[in-house]
Amino acid sequence: MELTLSIRRRGLARWKPAAGLLIATVVLGWAAGALESRGYPWEGLAAWVVSLGSGIVLLMVASGLLAGGDRVFRAVCRLAAVGIVLLVLAILAELVANSMPSIRKFGIGFLFSTQWDHITGHFGAVSSIFGTLASTLIAMLLAGPLALLIALFLVELAPPWMSRIVGGAIELLAAIPSIIYGMWGMFIFAPYLQNHIQPAMNRWLGWTGLFSGPPLGIGLLPAGIILALMILPFITAVARDVFQMVPAVVKESAYGMGATTWEVTRKVTLRYGARGIAGGLFLGLGRAIGETMAVTFVIGNNHHISTSLNSSSNTISSTIANEFIEATDPIYYSSLVELGLVLLVMTMAINVIADLWLKRLGKSMGAL
Amino acid sequence: MDPKALSWHIEQAGPMRPRGRRGRRLLNRGVCAFSIASAAVGLLFLAWILWTVMHRGAAAINWTFFTHRLAPPGAEDGGVGNAIVGTLLMTLLATLLAVPIGLLAGVWLSEFGRDSRLAGIVRMFCNVLMGTPSILIGLFIYTVIVIQTRPPHFSGYAGAIALAILMLPLVARTAEEMLRLVPNELRESAMALAMPRWRVTLTILFRSAKAGIITGIVLAVARVSGETAPLMFTALNSNYWPDTMNEQMSNLTMTVYQYAKSPYPDWQQQAWGAALLITAGVLVTTLGARLILLTGRGRGARR
Amino acid sequence: MTRTIINGERMDTARPRISESTPKPGRNPAADPAPDDAPARRQVSPAVPVVRTQSPAPDPSADGVPPRIVVQNLSFFYGATQALFDNNLSIATNRVTAIIGPSGCGKSTHLRVYNRIFELYRDQRATGTVLLDGQNILAPGVDLLELRKRVGMIFQKPSPFPMSVLDNIASGLRLHYRLSRSELSDRCEDALRRAAIWDEVKDKLRAPGTSLSGGQQQRLCIARAIAIEPEVLLMDEPCSAIDPVATAKIEELIEQLARRYTIVLVTHNMQQASRVSNYTAFFFKGRIVEFGETTQIFTNPVEKQTEDYITGRFG
Repeated sequence: MELTLSIRRRGLARWKPAAGLLIATVVLGWAAGALESRGYPWEGLAAWVVSLGSGIVLLMVASGLLAGGDRVFRAVCRLAAVGIVLLVLAILAELVANSMPSIRKFGIGFLFSTQWDHITGHFGAVSSIFGTLASTLIAMLLAGPLALLIALFLVELAPPWMSRIVGGAIELLAAIPSIIYGMWGMFIFAPYLQNHIQPAMNRWLGWTGLFSGPPLGIGLLPAGIILALMILPFITAVARDVFQMVPAVVKESAYGMGATTWEVTRKVTLRYGARGIAGGLFLGLGRAIGETMAVTFVIGNNHHISTSLNSSSNTISSTIANEFIEATDPIYYSSLVELGLVLLVMTMAINVIADLWLKRLGKSMGAL
Repeated sequence: MDPKALSWHIEQAGPMRPRGRRGRRLLNRGVCAFSIASAAVGLLFLAWILWTVMHRGAAAINWTFFTHRLAPPGAEDGGVGNAIVGTLLMTLLATLLAVPIGLLAGVWLSEFGRDSRLAGIVRMFCNVLMGTPSILIGLFIYTVIVIQTRPPHFSGYAGAIALAILMLPLVARTAEEMLRLVPNELRESAMALAMPRWRVTLTILFRSAKAGIITGIVLAVARVSGETAPLMFTALNSNYWPDTMNEQMSNLTMTVYQYAKSPYPDWQQQAWGAALLITAGVLVTTLGARLILLTGRGRGARR
Repeated sequence: MTRTIINGERMDTARPRISESTPKPGRNPAADPAPDDAPARRQVSPAVPVVRTQSPAPDPSADGVPPRIVVQNLSFFYGATQALFDNNLSIATNRVTAIIGPSGCGKSTHLRVYNRIFELYRDQRATGTVLLDGQNILAPGVDLLELRKRVGMIFQKPSPFPMSVLDNIASGLRLHYRLSRSELSDRCEDALRRAAIWDEVKDKLRAPGTSLSGGQQQRLCIARAIAIEPEVLLMDEPCSAIDPVATAKIEELIEQLARRYTIVLVTHNMQQASRVSNYTAFFFKGRIVEFGETTQIFTNPVEKQTEDYITGRFG
């Protein structure tokens, strides 16, 4: 009896700072709202921040104080982790909810209609999906081989110091914000393409039918090229790691048989890394398919399907970026959200596949 | 062993027709040349982009550029001061929101969830969230915050929350990976001192994984601060110095977007200046983060 | 034709055992109708003199055949660290030469010069001459692909390529020879038979090479190496990652292969050296302390260091 009492009394004593923190959190939070609405916005913001901080400290103190402190700590951590799952589900649910009017009106036909007319109110996703897939395909075709060759250079050919510098520089491509790519693409790269590259391509490759139409500098091709630059560092990084995972003794025995660097790469390294490289390509694919800003600048934003790489087009994300703010009509708005939903489902599918794929890879590498 | 099996075929078949080495060697040279050329192409584009941004941006930068707010085209005294402040504020708030939650999630993944089924699911959703196009995060915040507030309005808070959602999975996964690198002996020896798990984590584990976690956070901050798409439907942009975060908020990336797409040469010039600021900021932060990791590792090795 | 192998036995008990070693399978002309390119070696071995200096002179040929490899003043550097000091050695044609010594003494380093595989790593450098059939392989203009075709190598760890058993063999063959489909499969089968693994893998030729057991993987690697018809086989501790039964199989295989190929075997297992080799070189700290006929090295070593090592007093 006395024992429980003493524990409780000591517990009470330690509860004091916690109670203080609780009060501070609540009062500051309330004060923040009040200040903000009464014309003291910055004081309000400061109060929010302090309130947030004291709340976090409160959680820590509380978890330390409670008999099952670890259990509380664990529960809080778990809440944060599960919160991420819930967040993703909330994004999905919210997009579904907001695209309901469009889903009800157009049904599955939304995915198969080429119309995009906000005067008549008929919307279909085909042109945006086409542009998304086409620009992504161009990007993958360019970035995939380029990334593999760069990885080959970094792992097999370059001396270590050069490999470190060049590898770091390639990784820097990933740090450049996408809007910079967009701006550079529009002001510098597109005119260059228009004046120097596209006329030659039209002349020499015109017979393929892929390069018909006037060279404008903007369109699918420049969008694809810029996307390729943006995903290059991701694929390169994965490919480099995969190349380095090949056991030295296997490489040595291939060289020891009189194979050239290329033969070792083709017969041994690429086979070893096939799954990992596929995972890297998926990663790049996921990035390319959802990229917004860079594409918006150079693709021309035109709901028009053409097989010519010179023609302007649009992607799901560029359509949303360009038209969302002006879409006041409910059905227009919800069609745009549905486009976003289509994009979300695509990227989710790609990421889940890549995730499972790499997990299986991890298992099989463990077995090796 | 059957002795006949040994030279079973060789004696009858005679020597094999050798394959010329010249073709093989040429092919190899060709591929190696392509490989070097590819690296050069990558570097060339990097240099081209950086040089353009520096060259064009430098022309726009002067004192007014930092101290004055956005101005209509043709105005003499336009600057991006308010956009700088807006970007910094939103990034700061996003960091304050995302880091604690991300760290806690990372702790759960590395310390409690480990290889459980739920942890696998959380990790997968983290990857999905990381791969979600940032414009969709903007769309999400638009639907849950911007149009739900009364009256519906764009706000700096909405922008910061969108950025925080982008940061969250980055922080969580880095924290997990860095905590996993902490050797188990450290946990065990701390637990053996009857230290509760939460204190082991918050003091010992975080301390030894500090360099990696800070690097991860700084990289996430750098990445998020250069984002445009999530701000498009959340914070939008504003010509005024921010009075509160509860209204449209100016920021650098949206300014670049609007100015670059405008037909006015002086706005375009300022767009280049703002682009230089963003690029320099992001690259310096990124490289700085790498340095933290390097020095942190060096210290760890010496200990 | 079986023979017991006592693995992991202490060296001091191994020593008397060597002197009473019986004729081994494949070496007894009565028991094994060997092709004429594999004479019974024990009879001609006295022709090799024992060299007492630290830098043994080139070995005059056994039975009139010139040595396949002659190493002169070979030194080796890892960056600024010298690992080999003026090695002189000659490797007799179609014989097994064992290189023994304590770990870190430069055995493998020495071996890796013979096919210049060390050049994969930038800071490694060799000086001196290594004559393969009279041609200096360390000279600048040497065709590395040709050299490595002539000098095959087996590594410490089995290293099957990530492809099927058959493709493992075929990939090497296709590098160097123009073969029709049927020729290719004949050659693959032949190589697998000669590596004494055919019976074990003939039903799983399409299975990945990594699915085999460690000993099978190592014999697969041997098959892969001999398929392209090298002249010399370098074996860098081929049995160190393999269980005793598989080791016995590979040792037996080495004896068989010595009829066609010149074999250089690096091993830390002195019993293995005594069982399978004709000549033995004892390395210590990057120098060749003693080189001579295996029986002599193990029964009557000249140098004190050699004796100490093989009797297990150090190393």
